[in-house]
Amino acid sequence: MSLCQNRLQEERKQWRKDHPFGFYARPQKNPQGVLDLKIWECGIPGKEKTIWEGGLFKLVVTFPDEYPTKPPKCKFVPPLFHPNVYPSGTVCLSILNEEEAWKPAITVKQILLGVQDLLNDPNPDSPAQAEAYNMFKKDRTEYERRIKRVVRENAAP
Amino acid sequence: MEQLPLPTSLDEVEQLIRALYQPNTPETISKIQEVLQRLQRSPEGWQLAQSLIAHREDNIRFYAALTLIVKLNRDSASLSEDDASGLLESIIGWTIQALVDGAGAFVVKKLCSALITYFVQFSHIWPNCLRHFIYCLDLGRGSRAEALDDALTSEILVQNLDSQKLKVAIWFTTSLVEEVGKTDMNSAKYIDVHTRLAKNGHDVACLLARGFAPASDNAGIQTQAETISCYQAWILYAQRATSNTDLLITPLRQLVDPAMQCFATAQLFQATAELFSDVLSNYSAFFTEAHYTALSALFDSPWAVEHYQRILHGNHQEDGISFGLLMLAYGDAKVQDLMEGTDDRSRRFMESLSGLLATDGYLVAEDSIFVPALEFWSTFIETMIDSAFSDEQQTQVWKPYAEQHLKAVVVNCWRKIQWPPADVFADWDSSERVAFSDARKDVADMLQSLFTLEGLDLISFFAGLFLQAMEAQTWAELEATAFCLGALSDCISEDERFDTELSKVFASPFFELLGRDPGAIPLRLRQTGLSLIERYCEYFERHAEYLPSALNLLFAAVGDSVLGGPSARSISTLCSSCRSILTGEAGAFIRHYQTIRSSQVLDSLAEERIVLAIAFTIQSIKDEDQRLQTFEELYNILKKDFQLAVELRVQPGLLNLSNPDHLRGLDPPSPQAVPPVDEISLHIALRSMRCLANVAKGMQDVQESIVDLDSAPKTRRASSKLANLQADIMNVLVEVQRAFSANGEIIEIICNIFRAGFSESEPGPFVFPAEVVTDYFVQQPFQTPRVGTLLSTACSYVGSLYRGPKVIVPAQLRRLLPWVIMLLQTLPEPGSDTEVAQNGICLIDKVMSKYPEVIFQIQPQQLLEFFFLFTLKVLNGKEPLPKIAAADFWSNFITLKPTDPTLATQISNAMSHLGPLVTQTLINNIGGNAARSELDRLSEPLKKLVTSQVQAQAWLERALMAESSINGEEEGFPAADRVTPQERYTFMKKILALRGARQTNVVVREFWLQCRGSSFAYVS
Repeated sequence: MSLCQNRLQEERKQWRKDHPFGFYARPQKNPQGVLDLKIWECGIPGKEKTIWEGGLFKLVVTFPDEYPTKPPKCKFVPPLFHPNVYPSGTVCLSILNEEEAWKPAITVKQILLGVQDLLNDPNPDSPAQAEAYNMFKKDRTEYERRIKRVVRENAAP
Repeated sequence: MEQLPLPTSLDEVEQLIRALYQPNTPETISKIQEVLQRLQRSPEGWQLAQSLIAHREDNIRFYAALTLIVKLNRDSASLSEDDASGLLESIIGWTIQALVDGAGAFVVKKLCSALITYFVQFSHIWPNCLRHFIYCLDLGRGSRAEALDDALTSEILVQNLDSQKLKVAIWFTTSLVEEVGKTDMNSAKYIDVHTRLAKNGHDVACLLARGFAPASDNAGIQTQAETISCYQAWILYAQRATSNTDLLITPLRQLVDPAMQCFATAQLFQATAELFSDVLSNYSAFFTEAHYTALSALFDSPWAVEHYQRILHGNHQEDGISFGLLMLAYGDAKVQDLMEGTDDRSRRFMESLSGLLATDGYLVAEDSIFVPALEFWSTFIETMIDSAFSDEQQTQVWKPYAEQHLKAVVVNCWRKIQWPPADVFADWDSSERVAFSDARKDVADMLQSLFTLEGLDLISFFAGLFLQAMEAQTWAELEATAFCLGALSDCISEDERFDTELSKVFASPFFELLGRDPGAIPLRLRQTGLSLIERYCEYFERHAEYLPSALNLLFAAVGDSVLGGPSARSISTLCSSCRSILTGEAGAFIRHYQTIRSSQVLDSLAEERIVLAIAFTIQSIKDEDQRLQTFEELYNILKKDFQLAVELRVQPGLLNLSNPDHLRGLDPPSPQAVPPVDEISLHIALRSMRCLANVAKGMQDVQESIVDLDSAPKTRRASSKLANLQADIMNVLVEVQRAFSANGEIIEIICNIFRAGFSESEPGPFVFPAEVVTDYFVQQPFQTPRVGTLLSTACSYVGSLYRGPKVIVPAQLRRLLPWVIMLLQTLPEPGSDTEVAQNGICLIDKVMSKYPEVIFQIQPQQLLEFFFLFTLKVLNGKEPLPKIAAADFWSNFITLKPTDPTLATQISNAMSHLGPLVTQTLINNIGGNAARSELDRLSEPLKKLVTSQVQAQAWLERALMAESSINGEEEGFPAADRVTPQERYTFMKKILALRGARQTNVVVREFWLQCRGSSFAYVS
C-alpha cells in the first residue's frame, strides 16, 4: 500500500479512537459502497462561546497522492462566508499551505481543530474573499449579524 | 529582576537548595533557580555535584544528580577519556551508595538518569552498560567499564541481585530505553548510541526474565509491574529500531510467555492487558504464531469467561474495559484469520466480540465498550468487502459463519441505539448526549458499509422489524428502525429494486401515526419519522401516491417549535425533487402557507424554505399563463408585507401588535421589550425580502436550455403579463430600498434576487430586461450601503450578458463602465474598500476580455486614464485581493491582439506609455515589496510582457537599474542595497531567456528571496 493510503488508514483509526467534541470526519464512499480514503467528509462545529456556536459546517478534505508530503485541500461545501475562505469554498490557512506551515506530522484532527479556530479568529493578513474580509474590517456589527445568520442556516442537528 | 549574588560556601548552596523546595513566592523561586543554574553551569559545577552527592538530605542529593545531568549535557566535551571513565565509576558508586543509605526513590532514579545521560554522551566507553551496571550492583560499588572482562555471565549476575538491587536495575533499564529512544535514530550524532543500545538486548531479556519471576509478596508484585512497563517500552523501541533489530527482538520475544503469566495476578491484570493491547494494536508482527495460539487459548479459558461475563454485565470500570479492549486488539490483529476461521474456537471468540455490542447499560454513559467494539466490526466488514472484491473465484466456506456474526452485530447495534426513557436522558451531561448521537452516526456508517455485502437482505430485515414495532407499538424500537432505514437511504433511495420493501414501510399506518396529536408518540419518533420522509424523496418521486400524505404531515408540523425547521427543510427537499408531480398542488400549498401565516408567526428560516418549496412547484407548471398566475398569488402575499413595511415606516402609529402580519417584525420573536417601530418595519421588510429571494431561487429553471448567441434579442422578450410582473417587482425592490436606504442587508438581498435571474436563459419574473438592470446599477451612488456587493453583482451581470444575444451587450457595457470607474474615483484611497477595488477591476477586466473597443470609447477619456493609473496604485499597494485582480487585468491587457487596426493603434499607444510603469510596478513587487503568496500571480503579467512586448527588455532594464534619485522624482529599485546591478542584470537575462515559461515563477521567487534578504523565513 502507498504511503498516502497507509497514513490515511492510520489517520482514520486514530480519529475513530479519539476525536474532538461535535466534529465528524469520514472517508467518502464510492457508488459501490467502498471507501475512498482520499476524500473525507467532515463537519466543523462552531466553538462554544463564540458567534459561531451552534453551527455545523461541512468541509470536504481532499488528500493528494503526495500526502503527507503535500497538505490536503479543505473546502467548505457550500462555500462559507468568512474572510479566509475563497469564493470557491477553499480554506486559506497557513498549516494547509505547503510553502508555509504544513508539516507531514500534522494530523486530520489538528487540521480540523485549526479550521475551527480560524472561524472565530480570521487572519486579516491573508484575505480570500473580499465580501467577508471587507465587512470584517469595516463593519463588525454587520459582520456578526451575518455570521449569526450563517450559523442559523447551518445549525447543528 | 535583580539577581542574587553567587553563594560563597557549600553551606550557602545547601541553604539555597532547601529554600528552593520550600513554599515560596514564584519570584523568589525563580531567583533561586537562576543563581543555582549559574552555579551549575560554571566550571565548578562538577565539583559542586561531587560535594553534595553524599549528603544525607534527599533534596540536596537530588539536586546534585541534576547538576551531574546538566554538566554531562553541556560540558562532556571538556572531559578526557580517562576522566570520563573515572566519572562513570563514581556515578555508579554514588547510585549504589544512595541505595545503601536508603535515599528516596526519586534520588536513585535521578542518579540512574544521570547514568543514562552518561551513556548517551560516552556510549563508546560504556557499550555494555546494563551488564556492567548489574555487575557493579552485585559488587556493591562502582568500577571502570573494563572490569567487566572478568565478570560472570549476565544470567548469574542477575540471579545474585537482591530485590532492592533488582528494582534499581529495572528502573535503570526502563529509563535507558525511554531516554535513548527520545534521540533521533537517524542523526549521525546518535546512530552509534542506538547501535550499542541494541547490543544490550540479551542482558535486558536476562534481567526482565528475573523481574517476571513469580512473586511472593507485594513488593515482588510491584517489581513485576515495573517489569511489565519496562518490557512494553523495549518492545515499542524495538519496533522503531532500524539497526540490529534481531539482537533486540529475538531475546524480547522469549519473554512473551512469562509476561502472559502475569494475567493471572489480579493486581497485574490491567498493566498486562494494556501491554498486550498496545503491542497487538501497534506491532502485531512482534508476536509469533505460537504466541497467538497461546492468546487464543487464553481467551477460551474459564478465567477469560469470568472476565467476559463481568464486562457483559456492566463492569466497565478500568479492569473491565481493559479486558474488552484486549479482546478487540487481538481481533484487530487477527481479523483476516478470524474472518476465515471456521473452527469452534474462532467462532466462539467472534461470538464474544459481537456480544461486546450488547453489554448491559446505556451507550456511552454506562457502556464504554460499544464504541471501540463497533470500530472493530467496521474493520471486519471492510475486510470482508475487500475479500469479496478481490478473490471472487475462491469458494468462501467461511462466509455463512461471518454472515451469522454480522446478523448478531446488526441486532445488537439496533438495540443499543434505542433512545433511553426521557428521565434517563435528562440525567446525562451534554458530552454524554453528544457521544450518544455520535455513536448512532457510527452505527449508520457501519450499516452503509454492511449494505455493500448484504444488499436487499438488510433492507428486508429492517422493513420486517419496522412492521413488527408498528404492530407492537414499541416506540423506541420503531424509532431505531426508522433511523437505520434512514441511514440506508443513501444506498437505495435512487434504486427501484428496493421499492417493494420500502413500500411495506410507507404503506403501513406510519403516516397516520406521525400525524396523531403531539404527545401520542414520543417527539424523537416523530422527528426521525419526518426525516425518513425527507431521506427517501427519490422514492416518493416514483411513488407519487404517498406524496400528498407525506407533505400534509410535514405542513402540519411546520408550526412546531422543534419540528418546524426540519419539516420545512423536508418540504423543500421533496418539492425540489418531486416538483413535476406536484405542479397541481402549488395552489393548495399557497393556501396552506396563507392559513399558517394568518394564525401564527413561523420561524423565519422555516418560512423561507416553505416559499422556496412552493416556488419549485410553480416553476414546473408548463403553461406560462397558469405559471405566472400562480406565481402572482404567492408574490402578492409577500408584496403586502412590503407595503406594510413601507407604510409603517411613514406612519408608525399604524402599528398593531395583535395582527400576525405586524408580529412578523419582531426579531427575536418574543423580545423583552417592544422595539421601536422603525426596527419592526425593517424586519418585516427584511423577512419578506429573504422570502422573495428564495422564491427567485425556486423559480430558477432546472433544465439547461441552449441559447443562440447570435439570435435577435426578441427571444428574450417577455409576454405583457410577465413584463408587468417584472416591472412590479422592480418597483417594489426600488421602493423598499428607498424606504430603508441605510440598510445593507436589503441591498444584499436585492443582489441575490438579481443573481437568481442572471443564470436563467428562459424568461421569468426575475429575469429582468437588461436595460432595467443596467438602469438600476448606474443609479446607485457610492454612498449606497454594500456598494462593493453591488459591484460584484454587476460583474455577474456582465457574465450573464455574455451568455445572451450579443447585440444588446455593448450598449449596456457603455453605460456600466463610467459608473464603475466613477465609483473607483470616489474611493478615498485604492485600498480603503477592497471589495469595491477588486470587483471594479474585475468588471473592467471582464469587459476588456471581450469588448476592448468599448473600453477605449469611454467618455470622458480621462476616466480610462484614471483607471489605468488606479490599477498601478493598487499593484503598488498592500491589499492582496485587489492586487491580484490588477495583476490579472494587466496579464490580459498586455496580450490583447485586436483585429481592428484603429483599436490596435490605441492599445499600442497606451502600452508605450504604460509599459514602463507597469514594468516598474511589477519589479518593485518582485524586488521584495510583494508578499510571497502573491508572487505566482504577479509573475503572470511579467511573463506576458516578455512574450508579447518588444520593448520589454528596455523597460525591465530601466526598472531594475533605477537607483533612488536624490530629488525623489523616480523611485529606485527597492532592494538596491542587497542585490547588485550585476545580479539584477542576470535576473533579467534569465527572465528573458525563459520566454514566459513556467520556470519564470521559480526564478522570480528566488530573486524575491534574495531581495528580501536571508533574514526572511516563514515562522511556522
